Amino acid sequence: MVTYGLDPHGEMLLEEYRQQLPLYTRLQQVVMKKLNEMARQIGIDVNSMEARIKGESSLVGKLERKGYKYQSIRDITDIFGARIITFYNEDVDRMASMAESLFDIDWPNSVDKRKMHQFDSFGYNSLHYICQLPRSVYQDAEFPELNDIRFELQMRTALQHVWSAIQHDIGYKSEIETPMEYHRDLSRLAGMLELADNEFSRIRNSVSDYRRRAQSLLRSGRLEEVLLDRETFYSYIEMKPFNKLNRQIASITQAELHEASFAPYLIVLKQMGLNTLGDVERMIKDCYEDAYQLALFQLGSTDIDILAETIGLQNLCIVHILKAGKGKPGILQLFDTINGKKPQNDFMASTIIEQASRLPFFSGEKS
Amino acid sequence: MIFNITENNEAVKATVSGRLDTPAAVKAQQEIVPLLENAEKVITLDCEQLEYISSSGLRLFLTIRKEAAAKGGKVVIEHINDEIKKVFMMTGFFNLFEIR
Repeated sequence: MVTYGLDPHGEMLLEEYRQQLPLYTRLQQVVMKKLNEMARQIGIDVNSMEARIKGESSLVGKLERKGYKYQSIRDITDIFGARIITFYNEDVDRMASMAESLFDIDWPNSVDKRKMHQFDSFGYNSLHYICQLPRSVYQDAEFPELNDIRFELQMRTALQHVWSAIQHDIGYKSEIETPMEYHRDLSRLAGMLELADNEFSRIRNSVSDYRRRAQSLLRSGRLEEVLLDRETFYSYIEMKPFNKLNRQIASITQAELHEASFAPYLIVLKQMGLNTLGDVERMIKDCYEDAYQLALFQLGSTDIDILAETIGLQNLCIVHILKAGKGKPGILQLFDTINGKKPQNDFMASTIIEQASRLPFFSGEKS
Repeated sequence: MIFNITENNEAVKATVSGRLDTPAAVKAQQEIVPLLENAEKVITLDCEQLEYISSSGLRLFLTIRKEAAAKGGKVVIEHINDEIKKVFMMTGFFNLFEIR
């Protein structure tokens, strides 16, 4: 066993640490499982959760510096430490609230570094809780002492974490050891990152507001005002706007409609210059009958009784493209977008042009 | 036999031949069982000798694809003739398979 030349009290604490390592290991497993479960339950997407048990050499350093302060290894509250790194400031507070409901917090020894700065100073921002696992949350017959151990839970944003990690890496300790100009540089960066954290939160709130507004406009049928994007498109698809056309096409051969993804069509609609859900509604209205006629021409002489549920939208897009005079290149672009660039796309585009040229609506190029 | 299957460690290949009409598709339901059992692999359906596909045939292809999607595999369709390409296009299924 390694010896470190500690005084007898330090040696006693070190021995206690070695004996209790299995207990700390078990505590780490339980706490991390509980934290992960709780974060999932309340729907917080964290950047990362990490945990460590203090290594022997790190503990020895601490015992050398201030071992006299501790009666027992249990008085050292960071033997096991966990860290939650969030994306946003608000999520630090939500995770803290979660920790308060999950653990017993030793408030006198917990500290919110975010509130410790003067109005004109910037630096380490993190929330440190000293916690214990209550018996009401977890009990272990094999390790009954598990609930008596205090541990440290740090919570901070990703940017706060970056600042802290770099500061640690540089070897910054105190103003005595490092020239003042470097402290000023680090403080300036801390201020900049605090500003960036606030900006990220503001942007997230703005995006949430935008989404709520778009959903509200969608529900009230003001589709002209709803910009076409991934979220509004999927909400719109849930309203089943192509169902009527799909059913009419399916009735040609009494076909069943098979589930298919609408996702590639969002890009197609944007390529077609449709910017709002109102534009999509107009396309349905303007191209509905011709899209049906195209399907009738294609399927009328077949006995195909299974179709993808994207068939209505597929035909609407084809008609819209041809009515806009974009001809075979436009159809080829449609297939390239949905299918990826494949040799058969050219054949399919030529087939569409040939079929459409027999229908009244087609006025595009016929080559 | 419509589906003639050969397997190796990483892939399964089925040569599909003849007319995959409704009666043939009913018979072929048993033939595709080894494909479904190996759906975590790349399943290649060589359709060079496939002359015709009905809706029942399409359903068989979709069954294989569904199983592959669930198990993390994929289905590649090779050498289909122009008429069958048209069927995939007119039904909207053309992008569900990797067609080579």
